Amino acid sequence: MLQQLYESIFRADFLFAIIRITAPILFAALAAVIAEKAGVVNIGLEGMMMISALFGFLIAYWTQSWAIGVLGAMLIGILLGLMMGFFSFKLKTNIILSGIAVNMLGAGGTIFLLHMFTGLRGNTGALVSPNILIPTIDIPLINKIPILGEMLSGHAILTYLAFILVVVIRVFLYKTPLGLKMRAVGENPSAASSVGVSVLKMKYIAIAMSGALAGFGGAFMSMYYSQGWNQGMVAGRGFIALAAQAMGRGEPVGAMFSSLLFGLAQAMKTKVSGLRGIASYNYLIEMIPYVVTIIGLVVYAISIKRRARRHQLKPVKE
Amino acid sequence: MRDRRMILFGLVRGAAAIAVALAVGAIFIFLSSKEPFTALRYLLIGPFLSFHGGEIAFNTQNFYQVLAAMIPTIFTGLAVCVMFSANQFNLAAEGCVLVGAFTGSLVGIYVNMVTGLHAVVCVLIAAAVCGLIMLIPSLLKVKLGASEMVTSLMLNFVLLYVVLHFLNYHFADRSKGATMTFPFLESSKIPSLVPGNSKLTWGFVIALIVAVVVWFFMYRTRWGYAIRMIGINESFSLYSGMNVGGTIVLSSVFGGVLAGMGGSIEVLGRFNTFQWRELPGYGWTGITIAILAKNNPAAVPLAAFFLAYLNKGCQLMATHSDVPSEMIDIIQATIFLFFAAEQFMSGFRQKLVVKTTREELKKMESVNVLEEESGHASTTV
Repeated sequence: MLQQLYESIFRADFLFAIIRITAPILFAALAAVIAEKAGVVNIGLEGMMMISALFGFLIAYWTQSWAIGVLGAMLIGILLGLMMGFFSFKLKTNIILSGIAVNMLGAGGTIFLLHMFTGLRGNTGALVSPNILIPTIDIPLINKIPILGEMLSGHAILTYLAFILVVVIRVFLYKTPLGLKMRAVGENPSAASSVGVSVLKMKYIAIAMSGALAGFGGAFMSMYYSQGWNQGMVAGRGFIALAAQAMGRGEPVGAMFSSLLFGLAQAMKTKVSGLRGIASYNYLIEMIPYVVTIIGLVVYAISIKRRARRHQLKPVKE
Repeated sequence: MRDRRMILFGLVRGAAAIAVALAVGAIFIFLSSKEPFTALRYLLIGPFLSFHGGEIAFNTQNFYQVLAAMIPTIFTGLAVCVMFSANQFNLAAEGCVLVGAFTGSLVGIYVNMVTGLHAVVCVLIAAAVCGLIMLIPSLLKVKLGASEMVTSLMLNFVLLYVVLHFLNYHFADRSKGATMTFPFLESSKIPSLVPGNSKLTWGFVIALIVAVVVWFFMYRTRWGYAIRMIGINESFSLYSGMNVGGTIVLSSVFGGVLAGMGGSIEVLGRFNTFQWRELPGYGWTGITIAILAKNNPAAVPLAAFFLAYLNKGCQLMATHSDVPSEMIDIIQATIFLFFAAEQFMSGFRQKLVVKTTREELKKMESVNVLEEESGHASTTV
């Protein structure tokens, strides 16, 4: 059995699967990172992904263009972010509650909206056609390399975008004035506002960017990953992304690694459940990604606590 | 004067939030439906009134069904109230309802006991198990500072799969086509309160009693006070010597106990076997209820009633017109957003405060003038 597992894991298609599974979580995790940096907890990622996935797909269907669909999903994400911002910053709804409201819209509201726009119930299977799905690209040169090529080449455009965005967001947060202001607002709003940074504006920008990223994640889900929108599609990825953000210490690169860890857990799950003699544990295997997430959070929390204790003890010893 | 106006303002504001939400719902109905008026009629007055050939009558069975639907959500609403009062955004009530229902069912199937006692034991064991489960997110929060929100969200999925595993591979009745447990023993079932098929059981009465108990706990005991104080100002509670960690754990465990009771009472009252295969959603409804009730346990039954009514209305609307019942999520989310919005109608409140203060000042002035005058009068005499 281990032999079997060993053979199925050390293969290029397994690594390919990890990257593919990671991409949507990475988008959402980056969305969580940006929001959190400005001190905004975006628990509405799940709903944002559901809604933008639906509209991304529908817009792509109406225009018969995947690119416009992706842009549409991004715009819907931004709008939802601004809506959350309006309620939370202007009307002072607790940000967690407005996030939950967005999730409600994502869970049931999408089914209603789908019915309203198309008359379909629960999924868009009837509308799928190849030209509204996000195309995959083969990277020249790399695709010639034996294992690496199989692993890295042939992904959807948005998959590459997700990993490129890790770098872009890191540069944005640490090398641009806007990023600096945003982090300042997240770390100490009063200090930021005392040097003339508009706290409100930064928070709006952060949650709008967060929405845009969630929008990409949604578009990826409906227009590539599951090839069409259906009601159980996002399946907690928005929540997992929050955990990935926390596990990755709120940094883009860290979030990428924890997203990859989750992708690995998910891909393992599919592999392991295919093995003989283990089929009756399929639900417990299904559970792995979530358990990994909790353990990751705990490890992270312990490390933070240790570090804090070290800092505290220092002056006493001296 | 001031207090009365503020209470009145609170009511007006709540009504306005609901009105906005229903208006949003109505807009969507008009946009999507070919028969908007039929849809609206079923949504708004359908749950209690039935129309047969132009005659309108009070529909008792529907009324009972609405009350029956309140049973699990009162419990989750109370659970969320207790946890949110301590400022703990613990979202594991959802998973606890499922686990509570499952453990309650198992005790109801495999343990032999006398009627009366059996159901009570089922519910208590379910409650205890869920209380223990809630130790996970709350201890992680208190001891390590791990976000209770994220861990509880993950925990929901973990609980779902654990339940599915045991349901499928250990306790399933293989003679049935669908996955379900063996039937509950008659002695474990929660008896019906009214005749008919409405599923309105004694669980409803228990839910109301528990609401009163939780209210008493939160507003008349020192533990409840500590929970609320931590929610209002955690640092203050810490510096004034309260056991903040212990109280947070207490509130979460209490929340778990309530959610577990709700889950077990729901299945033992409504069904003959356990066959939930996904998270039931009562935990999320509980959050809406807690928001509507402003974390006050005494208002939870009212909020639960409102949502149950709305839900029934949406179901009837979906059956009798072309609008899908998922409409409820749009209405619910809108209510949620406006109800929780502290600054919603704040301009109006500001005006009200200014007006009240002016009036009070004027009154005080006139009293002062009167006193001065009477003072003058007394000295001249």
